[in-house]
Amino acid sequence: MVFITAQEILETVTMIRSENLDVRTVTMGICLDDCAAGDRRRTAERIHAKIVRRAGRLVEVAEELQRKYGVPIVNKRVSVTPIAEVVAGDDPAAYVEVAHALDAAAEEVGIDFLGGFSALVQKGFTRGDAALIEAIPDAIGATRRVCSSVNVASTRAGINMDAVLRMADVILAVSRRTAEEDSIGCAKIVVFCNAPEDNPFMAGAMHGSGEAECSINVAISGPGVVRNVVAANPDASFIELADLIKRTTFKITRVGELIAQEASQMLGAELGIIDLSLAPTPAVGDSIAEILESMGLEAAGAPGTTAALALLNDAVKKGGTMATSSTGGLSGAFIPVSEDKAMARAAADGRLPIEKLEAMTAVCSLGLDMIVVPGDISRDALAGTIADVMAIGMVNSKTTGARLIPAAGKGLGDWVELGGLFGAGPVMKVSAAANSAFVRRGGRIPPPLQSLTN
Amino acid sequence: MRTTVIVTALGPDNHGLLAQVATTVAEQNANVDDVSQTVSNGMFTMIMFVSFDQGETTIAELKDALEATGERIGLQIHVQHENIFKFMHRI
Repeated sequence: MVFITAQEILETVTMIRSENLDVRTVTMGICLDDCAAGDRRRTAERIHAKIVRRAGRLVEVAEELQRKYGVPIVNKRVSVTPIAEVVAGDDPAAYVEVAHALDAAAEEVGIDFLGGFSALVQKGFTRGDAALIEAIPDAIGATRRVCSSVNVASTRAGINMDAVLRMADVILAVSRRTAEEDSIGCAKIVVFCNAPEDNPFMAGAMHGSGEAECSINVAISGPGVVRNVVAANPDASFIELADLIKRTTFKITRVGELIAQEASQMLGAELGIIDLSLAPTPAVGDSIAEILESMGLEAAGAPGTTAALALLNDAVKKGGTMATSSTGGLSGAFIPVSEDKAMARAAADGRLPIEKLEAMTAVCSLGLDMIVVPGDISRDALAGTIADVMAIGMVNSKTTGARLIPAAGKGLGDWVELGGLFGAGPVMKVSAAANSAFVRRGGRIPPPLQSLTN
Repeated sequence: MRTTVIVTALGPDNHGLLAQVATTVAEQNANVDDVSQTVSNGMFTMIMFVSFDQGETTIAELKDALEATGERIGLQIHVQHENIFKFMHRI
């Protein structure tokens, strides 16, 4: 028997019971390359059949591991090959039909979200990419479980501004389609720069072309654990603080590694990656903003917030990397405003404006995430906001994403309840200065030089 | 292969708490390999290493039985496979 001390046992139990340590998601990535068929109905049927066959036991296995180890596994999800690559036709209706098949398969295997209604268009559109993007409003509006992501930029290709404009149109269309539910459909759409191919988190999960036939990707999360360690050491210097966070993240990540090893073995899938993320939920004590407050800031948004987040993000990665055999996904501290109660409060108070969040994007994962903006925001203002987030990712060789929610019928001063893990947040102000002459120039913003780094 | 789980219990102290937890373990055909308990400021804390062979019981059965006992005697009882502690605290 390996000797484990009482203190270590109680530390683990406390992390799980009192500090919200959990496995945020076990996501099965499934390759759909072999599902393409001549006609769209057969393609949809084959996609449905393959997902049900591969992921049929996903929920059962995750629940068994949850019982065995006493650690909550909050979400069980599936990501698939970007659908634009599977269907590859130019009729948007074919993509909508596939979206229904994805939705039905997700329901049959008992999961709440499935990601991969996606296209990668950073350099240009294929006919399939264009049709998929055109189909997103119908696909998202008519399904419950399907999530969509479109990669419009990369460090190597630059920013496809035509795609940015189209995605602004798509987001506004989905906002209108789901107006009765505070435009919740927009929470299922991410616009990416440098999208990872192995991301287990929704809404941006996809199973990229470089991935195995079927893999298990696990995301671990414990903002509350890190917050308590930080709060318990108010006099720690920055180096000491970083060390404390690294040690804590190491322990948290080991749980993800254990679950990933067993889940992949039990499901006959490759062990993909562990995503070393601190992802908040609306629950009290499960907040990134509260970690920043524990570091000594009155609220997220106070001067020093970006520096504090940089320290946190780096320490999380350093501690986590040593704890796993394979890291990937989005790995970092997330700042989704509506999903983080303390962050939403700071945004509502005016202490955390959207411009500060944009600056924070440069040093953490993921970007302007779960931010409610006025329902009457112009297409060009939305496109410009997305382009700014893409530019940060492109220049810094990192993943950035925009998940913006123009809440139909809502304006500044309104508070929007998105429900469940999506949380709630204030409508945030976006600059009204005109930008149409810029965003409508057409074509691509060229990729940045990779030398002379300043 | 023999399975080892770690049972932790926490709650207000009372007479016979350890005895009742151990009785439930015995009723489930599992063995107590090691146990430590303390009472501090009226709070009872117990850590018990329990093992069993395949066919004697399962983690799910043991967990259900111990949680039911915990509810009856006012303790929060958690049952976890030992590997989660090994993974977290040992390389």
